[in-house]
Order: sequence, then structure tokens, then C-alpha cells
Amino acid sequence: MTDVARIDTGNDIIVCEDVKKWFGEFQALRGVSLRVRRGEVLVIAGPSGSGKSTFIRTINRLEEHQAGRITVDGIELTHDVRNIAAIRSEIGMVFQQFNLFPHLTVMQNLTLAPIWARRWPQARAEAKALELLERVGIPEQAQKYPGQLSGGQQQRVAIARALAMEPRIMLFDEPTSALDPEMIQEVLDVMKELAHTGITMVVITHEMGFAREVADRICFFDFGLLVEIGPPNEFFNNPRHERTKLFLSQILHS
Amino acid sequence: MTTARAGNAGVPPMESPPVGEAGALAWLRRSLFSTASSTAVTFVLGAAFFLLGWRFLRWSIEVANWGVITTNTRVILWGRYPEAELWRPQAAAALLGLLAALTWIVWRRAAWSRLRRPMLLAWLASPLVLSLLLRGFELPTLRTIGNNLGYFLVRPDLLPILGAVWRGPLALLLVAAVSSLNLASASGRIARALGLLPLVVLLGLNLPSAFQVVSGPAGLPIPMAVPILLAALAGWWVGRSLGRIVSRTGRGRGWKVWLWLATGVVVAFILTDFTVGRPEIDPQPVLPGVQPSLWSGIMLTMVLSTLSILLSFPLGVLLALGRTSRLPVIRYACVGVVEVVRGVPLITILFMAQVMLPMFLPMDLSIDRVLRAIAGMTLFTAAYLAEVVRGGLQAVPREQLQAARALGLSELLVTLLVLLPQALRAVIPAILGQFVSVFKDTSLVSIVGLLDLLGILGSITKQREYLGTVREVYLFAALFYFVVSYGMSAASRRLEARLGVGIR
Repeated sequence: MTDVARIDTGNDIIVCEDVKKWFGEFQALRGVSLRVRRGEVLVIAGPSGSGKSTFIRTINRLEEHQAGRITVDGIELTHDVRNIAAIRSEIGMVFQQFNLFPHLTVMQNLTLAPIWARRWPQARAEAKALELLERVGIPEQAQKYPGQLSGGQQQRVAIARALAMEPRIMLFDEPTSALDPEMIQEVLDVMKELAHTGITMVVITHEMGFAREVADRICFFDFGLLVEIGPPNEFFNNPRHERTKLFLSQILHS
Repeated sequence: MTTARAGNAGVPPMESPPVGEAGALAWLRRSLFSTASSTAVTFVLGAAFFLLGWRFLRWSIEVANWGVITTNTRVILWGRYPEAELWRPQAAAALLGLLAALTWIVWRRAAWSRLRRPMLLAWLASPLVLSLLLRGFELPTLRTIGNNLGYFLVRPDLLPILGAVWRGPLALLLVAAVSSLNLASASGRIARALGLLPLVVLLGLNLPSAFQVVSGPAGLPIPMAVPILLAALAGWWVGRSLGRIVSRTGRGRGWKVWLWLATGVVVAFILTDFTVGRPEIDPQPVLPGVQPSLWSGIMLTMVLSTLSILLSFPLGVLLALGRTSRLPVIRYACVGVVEVVRGVPLITILFMAQVMLPMFLPMDLSIDRVLRAIAGMTLFTAAYLAEVVRGGLQAVPREQLQAARALGLSELLVTLLVLLPQALRAVIPAILGQFVSVFKDTSLVSIVGLLDLLGILGSITKQREYLGTVREVYLFAALFYFVVSYGMSAASRRLEARLGVGIR
């Protein structure tokens, strides 16, 4: 991982400059510029189809950006496979639909990438996996298959799986949207605990209580643009843009 | 669970489900004798079946001459395989049975899951072991090797490298590939230089023939320097591309030693065929050779189906993966192969393999008829398997791949660890069904003149003392194919039921 050229981006771990992305004729991102600081918890809010999910997927190259520049921990995201691999090894991602590997046990889900991509010995990977499962509160489920767990448990396993690669940045793409209401809190608790460890987190969520409590900054996406960004206090009490006000009134009074 | 429920006073008690009509009599009344017309049909059909069954039974006990099967058992089982060597196909059958039984046990127990990879390797290696066992093989002794090397250094003009035109460039191609692979992925200066040394040696060995001119197709004179240079460049390019991929996956160094050793053996084989040397220092036959043309009977049927199944599976998976490749050349090549082969009847492919294949191959490279049949069957099955596997690949959600990529797995690992296991699991029933039909389709080789079970049975009916026993013989064939096919389907159903656990 040391053979990749790094640029000094100071205290900013993710630097996006004028990022643009099209799906066919449809422009999903119309020039997003955003800097995420080291250790920051950034919440992204916005209506569906606003490009927020596409945006965080460009950060680890699950979607390719077609214009602009993305730098993660000093590594520029280019077509170079080595850069992409280096960036992905610094970023963990949690998906709305969990996306656990159904053919593997929970333990195998957690040890797959460390063993194959990091070449850790199995014993080390399993020790790390158990430690993480304990952290997310389900060490007793290690030998089960994902299909045997509840949605909340699956999402906690997914968080542990992402953490197993020891990333510096965690991306969350609506982690609680697919969960039954009684399971949302258990996942949010794990995320809150994680936020206090100093890891950088970028979280797309509609859980405004979580945002108010944990986020350092909140930003609002609409029509593929970053409309507004600021600390929670300012964002909730004193939004500057009409679109933000409308969105907040819809989401807070429903 | 139940105690917790019983202790909970708030939960209302459950009622037991209603009791329906049960028992054999009730079933009979309901499905066979419910109305007058249904009763009539039942009696008519019952009488017809009874009559047919009775006549068949009387024929098979009183008229049929089963001696044609019992006296010919050895021929039906092993065909014309030499009697003294019969233990070899028997050992091969025992080995296969043992392997199958072990696989079954290993896959049943989660605790033995560590043994799964060795079992898989054993299956992959089994075609080689089986063919060595059945065909026989020779090993060069130390004296032969020394003898050959002596000739190699002192009398290069005796080497086949100069006689058979293609050997020199082929060896050069291999060594150039490995050399440049080594160069692209090695770090130390000495390691690089050492890797280049064999290439220099091979170039030197090709030097004498480079000055020759051979007549190519249509009598055109071709200076040998051209194919030699082309081979070297092609090998170099392939090795360099491979080296870049390998250096990204960042594996250890041990494999390189093995690669060089394997290349050394292959190149030595290409160059010398281990046949150069004085006739009195011949290679030692470990197992005397039994040409595949002598393989016949049930043994040939089993060899054909086993080898076609084992070889077509990896090929089919590769074709399916190739079809999803982002590189147009690979994708269209795979689409082409799959569609062309699927558009042609198997019997045509078998005829092509017997008649056309030799036309495309060099004169001195003759492939045995059995091997040609195996090649045809393998290609045919692989094309169908590729379509089945492609269905499985499409059934895996794209999000699974994204999750795997986000974890930092390379594309190769994503395919091997996440995509293929899920895809193959989804299509196991279809794959096993394909294998059953491969087994039955092997009977077609009797049409192109191979003596598989059907072929040998056909020749048995022409024995003088058993003329007119066609019915007995083909009934036996039907029974054999049914028993084996049904066994395979039953095993595959149990496998499906087992794999259904814990998938989703």
C-alpha cells in the first residue's frame, strides 16, 4: 500500500472537487465539492433521487465519477487499479440491504476479506472478528448464516465486517432504512459507539435524532447538488435555503 | 419455547387442525373409484397393465436367453482390455468410488469443511490419474535423462528440435512467457538475471534452425527465423501481461519455483520427447501401455462420461465467465463458441471430432479416437453448462459484488469467493441434470464406431451362438442406463435438499 503516490491534503481525509456523474443522459451529480475532516461524523440528508447515494459510492469507486477530482487520504481516485485498491482498503461501507454473503457464516463473512485481501493468518482474522462481534453485541451468532439472523443483527454483522479491514473511513448508505422500527435503535447505538472512537464517518440517513446527537456537520443534497452544509444546530434551527426548510418540515413533522 | 408459552397466561391455547380422511382405502376410493366412469377406466387400464406385465414376465423367464449377458459379462464390463491388466480399470473404478464416497461424507459434515479444498483438488487431478492408470505410462530413468542430456550437448543435430519444426518455437514460447513473467514480478536483480538465463539458452538452441527454410502451407518457403521470433515475442508479451496481474495480487514467491520446475519438465518433454538416446537405454515402463482403442464396454462408457463431466465443468464455468467479461474479444469469442456448439447436434460434433479434427492437426500429432470423442463430448457439454452457469451468474445480485469490492477484494477474488459460489449453488440441479444427460449421450459414440456399452452389445448380438438375442441385450442396456441415471438423479436430489439449508 506504500507504492501509491500520496498528496498532502492536510486535515481533510476526503476531498471532492466538482464531482460530476451521469447515468446515460441523466446527470446524477452536477458538481459536488466537499471536504471531510479527519475523525469527523458527516451526515448526508436529502430526498430520494438527490444523488447522495451515488455520491458516497463514487468515493470508493463503486460508481465511477466522470468529471472532477476525488482524493481519499491523499490518494487520488483514478483509473489505476492500485489506487482504487489502496482507497478501498481505507474505506469500509455499510449498505441499506446489508449485503452479507448468504453462503458464508457470520464468522466467514468477517474473515473473508482479511484472509484473502490482507493475507492475515486465519487465527488472527478470527480473533479480530470475535472482538468485533463482541463490540456489536452478537458474539454468540458467529457460526450462524446471515439468513438465520434478524435484520438488526444482520446490519450489525455488516458493520463488523466493514470494520474487520480496519478502515479509517466508514460510509453508511441508509443503514437503518430497511429495518423494522424496533431494530433501528440497536444499529444506531452501534454507530454512536463507533462515532466516539474517532473514525471518520459519512452517513446517509433520515434519522434526524441521530444526526442531531452525533453529527459534526450535516449536509443537504438535492438535484445532484450539495445545497447546504453546516453544524447540526445551524442546520436544524436556521436553514438558509428554501429547499432545506421544505425538506426539514416534511421529515420532522411526518 | 413451549415452556415459555405454557407459562404465559396471556396467550390463548391453539386448536388442533381438523382430521381429514386418511388411509389407503380412502385414497383408493377418492382417486380410482370415485365415479362409475372412473371405475371403468381403472378396470380397463388395470387389465391392460396386468396382461402386458404377465406376458413380459413369462417371456423373460421362459423364452429369454439371458446366457448372452452372463457369459459375456467380462466383455460387457471391460471390453477388450487385456486380461492381465484388468486390475487397472478395476482399481480406477474403486478409486473413483472411494473419491465419490469421501466427497459425500466430507460435504455432509460441517466439521470437516477444511477437507473440502483437498477433495476439490483430488477431483481436478483425477482425470490425469485415471488416464495414466488406464493408458499406462513410462518414466525416464536417470540413465535416460543423462543419455538425453549428453546427446543434447554433443549432438544437437540428432535432437527432434531440428527435426520436428514446431518443437523449438513452442518451447521458446513457453520459456519466453515464464521469463518475462518472472521479470515483471521479480524484485531482486539476481532473480531477474537468473530468470533471463533459460531464455538465452533457448534462443541459442533455436539458433541453428533459425537459418533453415521450411515449406509452409501451399508450399510457400518460410524462413524458420520468422516463427521463432514470433514465438519469442508472443511469449514475452503474454508473460508480461500475466506478470502485471500477478504483481497486483501480491502472492508469495514459492509458486515461482514450482512454475520454473514445471516449465523445465514440459520443455524437456517437448524438446526430447524422452525418446532420444540409444535404444538399449529405453525408458522404464511403469505400467505397460494399453491403447485407448482397446477400451470398450461399460468401462468405456464410464470413462467417457466421467472424463467429459470432469473436463467440461471447468471449461463451462470459464466460458460462462468469459461471456460476462468486459473485454469484447473474450466476450465475443465465448459467445461464438457457445452459440456455434449449441447450434449443432452432438452426433455432428462427434463426427467432426473423428473426421475433421485430424485434418487441422499436424501430421505427426495423431490423437486417439477415444480422446477425440472425449474432446467432442466435453466441448458440447461445456457449451450447455456455460449457459446454465450464466443463468446462475445473473441470479447473484449486483449488490453482492459491490459489497465484496467495497471490502477491498480484487476482481478475481470477488469472482472466486463471492460470485461463483453463489452462482453455482443456484444452478446445482440444472448442472447435475446436464451430467445425467452426458452419461446417456455417451451412447452416441457407438455410431461413430467406438465400442462403448451399446457398441459392444451390438457386436455381441452377432455372436453365432447368441443370434436373435437382440431383445435381451437391449433390455439389459436400457436397465443399465436407467439404474445409473436414476442413481445420479436421486443423489442430486439429496444434494439439493442438503444445500438448501442455510443459503438464504
